[in-house]
Amino acid sequence: MRHFLVMTAFAALSAVVFGTVAKDSNRERVVYGLKVFAEFMVIGLVLAWILYFIPY
Amino acid sequence: MSKVESGRINPQTAPARAWLMGIAGWLIPGLGHLLQGRWGRALLLGGAVWICFISGFMMGGHLFIYSGSEPASSSLLQIPPMIGNLGTGLLYIISWVTGFGFSHEQQQAALPTFEYGWTFLLIAGLLNYLCMLDAFDIAAGRKS
Repeated sequence: MRHFLVMTAFAALSAVVFGTVAKDSNRERVVYGLKVFAEFMVIGLVLAWILYFIPY
Repeated sequence: MSKVESGRINPQTAPARAWLMGIAGWLIPGLGHLLQGRWGRALLLGGAVWICFISGFMMGGHLFIYSGSEPASSSLLQIPPMIGNLGTGLLYIISWVTGFGFSHEQQQAALPTFEYGWTFLLIAGLLNYLCMLDAFDIAAGRKS
């Protein structure tokens, strides 16, 4: 659970910065920030499952 | 001249104020935007970097520095993360001057969040480089 929370915190903080410095309008920034957050989370979980099945 | 080329701004034409804002943003996360009256951006960007930096230490992380005391290749490996850590500006410099946060005891390294800690400290620096460039671009008139 702790690992998931830390990953969520990392994704949220990075998404805030990426969303704020990119794009032109506030709406675009929010959408982009949410997209970055979702990407970090999904890729993190997919990688975790891939690594789970690797025995080394 | 193509449209892309004509849109480029020579870095030498950027006003001194832009460099000043960039340096301020690097030294203290969020200050570059704050000085330009961008309160919202300063709060979001500076806040994210500060939270990242503080939580990095709270998780038991440590900062990197080139010491030269280790074997050649090991010492060189300290340089890239050190450049990342340097992004936090004054926070890194104060830690370096006071000698805080560079060593890690066995107890600290045994923490389950130890690896996350130094990763957060690293990310804080890298994110602040982005914030610094954003403050520079706004002051140079390249961004609204």
